[in-house]
Amino acid sequence: MSAALSGEDRAESIRMIRDSAAAVAPPGGDMKRVRELRFQTPGFDPAVLRQTGEMGWIGLRLPDAAGGAGLGLGEACALAEELGGALVPEPLIPAMLSASLLAAVGAGPLERVLTGEALVLTAWQERPDTLEVPGSPDAPRRFLPMAAGAASFLLPVREGGRIALYEQQAGAGLTTEQTQDGGHVGTLEPNLGTATRIADDIGEALSLALDEAALLTSAYLLGGMDRAFAMTLDYLKTRQQFGKIIGTFQALQHKAADVRMQIALTRASIEAAAATIDDGASGDARRAVISRAKARAASSSMLVTRECIQLHGGIGYTDQYDVGLYLRKAMVMANLYGSAALHRRRFMAVAPEVEE
Amino acid sequence: MDAIRIPAPAELDALDDEHFRQVVRAFLHENYPDDLRNPPKRLHWDENRPWYMKLAERGWLCPGWPKEHGGLGLSPAKQIILTEEYERYGVARTNDHGIVMLGPLVIKYGTEEQKQRFLPKILTGEHIWCQGYSEPNAGSDLAALRTEAVLDGDEYVVNGQKIWTTLATDANWIFLLVRTDKQAKKQEGISFLLVDMKTPGIIIRPIINLEMHDEFCEVFFDNVRVPAANLVGQLNKGWDMAKALLGFERIFLGSPRQSGYALSRLNILAERMGVWEDAEFQDRYARLRLEFEDLKALYGTFVEKLKRGESLGPDVSMLKIIQTELFQKITDTMLEIAGENAGLLEPMEGNRDLNIGGLFIQARPATIYGGSNEIQRNILAKNVLGLPG
Repeated sequence: MSAALSGEDRAESIRMIRDSAAAVAPPGGDMKRVRELRFQTPGFDPAVLRQTGEMGWIGLRLPDAAGGAGLGLGEACALAEELGGALVPEPLIPAMLSASLLAAVGAGPLERVLTGEALVLTAWQERPDTLEVPGSPDAPRRFLPMAAGAASFLLPVREGGRIALYEQQAGAGLTTEQTQDGGHVGTLEPNLGTATRIADDIGEALSLALDEAALLTSAYLLGGMDRAFAMTLDYLKTRQQFGKIIGTFQALQHKAADVRMQIALTRASIEAAAATIDDGASGDARRAVISRAKARAASSSMLVTRECIQLHGGIGYTDQYDVGLYLRKAMVMANLYGSAALHRRRFMAVAPEVEE
Repeated sequence: MDAIRIPAPAELDALDDEHFRQVVRAFLHENYPDDLRNPPKRLHWDENRPWYMKLAERGWLCPGWPKEHGGLGLSPAKQIILTEEYERYGVARTNDHGIVMLGPLVIKYGTEEQKQRFLPKILTGEHIWCQGYSEPNAGSDLAALRTEAVLDGDEYVVNGQKIWTTLATDANWIFLLVRTDKQAKKQEGISFLLVDMKTPGIIIRPIINLEMHDEFCEVFFDNVRVPAANLVGQLNKGWDMAKALLGFERIFLGSPRQSGYALSRLNILAERMGVWEDAEFQDRYARLRLEFEDLKALYGTFVEKLKRGESLGPDVSMLKIIQTELFQKITDTMLEIAGENAGLLEPMEGNRDLNIGGLFIQARPATIYGGSNEIQRNILAKNVLGLPG
């Protein structure tokens, strides 16, 4: 379905997704729910995760036959952007990653993942800042987002030249560390003795799914920076010093213009990546546009949220004021699924020569 | 490529976009002089005259003018394709002020008599125009201009000075913004006047710029008598007319082409200097390359807007800022990796692709002309972000 959409139909479909996102991420909604979940366990609301399942978001990208909505990356990025604007803490992107893996192999707890009944996390990562999946049977799996709320974990394990997939139920072997945004990450000790083997070879599916998660993370960051900047603009138009609205000062105006340009470049980069892939790009071409978008989003989200704090002055440094929530979210998410530096290196490795 | 038939000028606008692109490529291949590709400096009239006359002879000179006035009547979308292909081929800019600025203004605001008198002579190359807007004390604050025109009988008497007049020494006519009401608010006392450069009292003095090139001039007016019939549009409405003319062409100030050209030269230089193994350089290059790709994507979103028939908003200023600052960052990097070669006046090793200092110097005015980047940021702040003041 997604491949067949014309430009206009795609735009309409993206508008519908944005509207429907309001169910969980109301535009201009307050941060009460987000604040209440901070530094709690599991750090998100399982009922809201189920709601996202009912909305069909977890399976947004999966074909109809696999119980999904069959939509494109354009729609998925629009959704992630809306969630990012509202700082929705439910780990939708990791859930989508697991869903796409399970759909690719046609086995395991796919249905429970799609409905949001169970949070199933893919425990692929063995070290910081990587997209590689060594699949070491005994290596602790790191940086599992919201792991305390997971029902089970999917473990990629190298067997000969292939990466098999196991499911390990939650329980023993999990430790967690809090993160700046009020969530946490887990480290899991694999225990293959108790795990169920569910697929023989998921290497290719996992690498596609990780790339997609990188792009969705970029879109989530875009939503956050856009919203943080909107708050900042409001502030610039109301706060007075020296008897003037501070937004009249050219030093601040030019800073604001620079922030606006970063956001525009980020949006152009992400939307171009989504459209390129929805139009059928694969292999290096797919990796190149995703790395481009993620490199941009990672660096601009930090730049934008930093500048938003600066433009607010002292009030921006208080925990009570919401703009700080966006900075802390960017600190946690900017490096997920590869830092800016990692993606710049990967872009250079896979991108064609510059076209004059 | 040679197999493509080039249709008559009047048929071009009806072609589908991809076909049109192929036709433009074939046209350039067939007609553009090889030795004028990617010139390192803005060409003078004696250098680009053959190309101008070729365009005139083939009826391709004025892509944006309506067909009834001798133009190609191309939509903005097609004009963008044309420009993209010209840029790709390395086509030099002509003395195009008559084509791009004056012609459209006369078509929109001129009398029938003025249209008959001026438009055909642009099309034949008989009139070469230059633009007299900026003054020594009216640069970014253009509306502060003071060159005045006072009505005396059926003539205006013009006194004052223009500056940064591009290729004035090549031109035989100049269009001026002049002050015709000193009492009114500064934007409301300005008129638009056409002046024959041979009129007594005009002195042109070339300015040598940092490129050691004389493309800019100062033009002095000392009691220059101009027929009142040469006033275009309403008296004291010159500012509004000049502003209304700033149409979709603003997008070209943000065309990624300059940066693309510079980036590929940085590539060649990096190879020559053997810095590709240096991890710091690799990361720097990657940042520039990604900025270029994202600029292209952003530029593409504005092009799409035009293709849908929408007009451009003030946010197009973003493209100009991003493009020109990227161009400068690329040439900065070239200087930094070139060692002592950075200071050479001529291209390194006689290779035009290694024109390091030349390209760096060329990048300087990009953030100044067409509305300095500081002015562009003011526009973004006020007209896009809605900041006060």
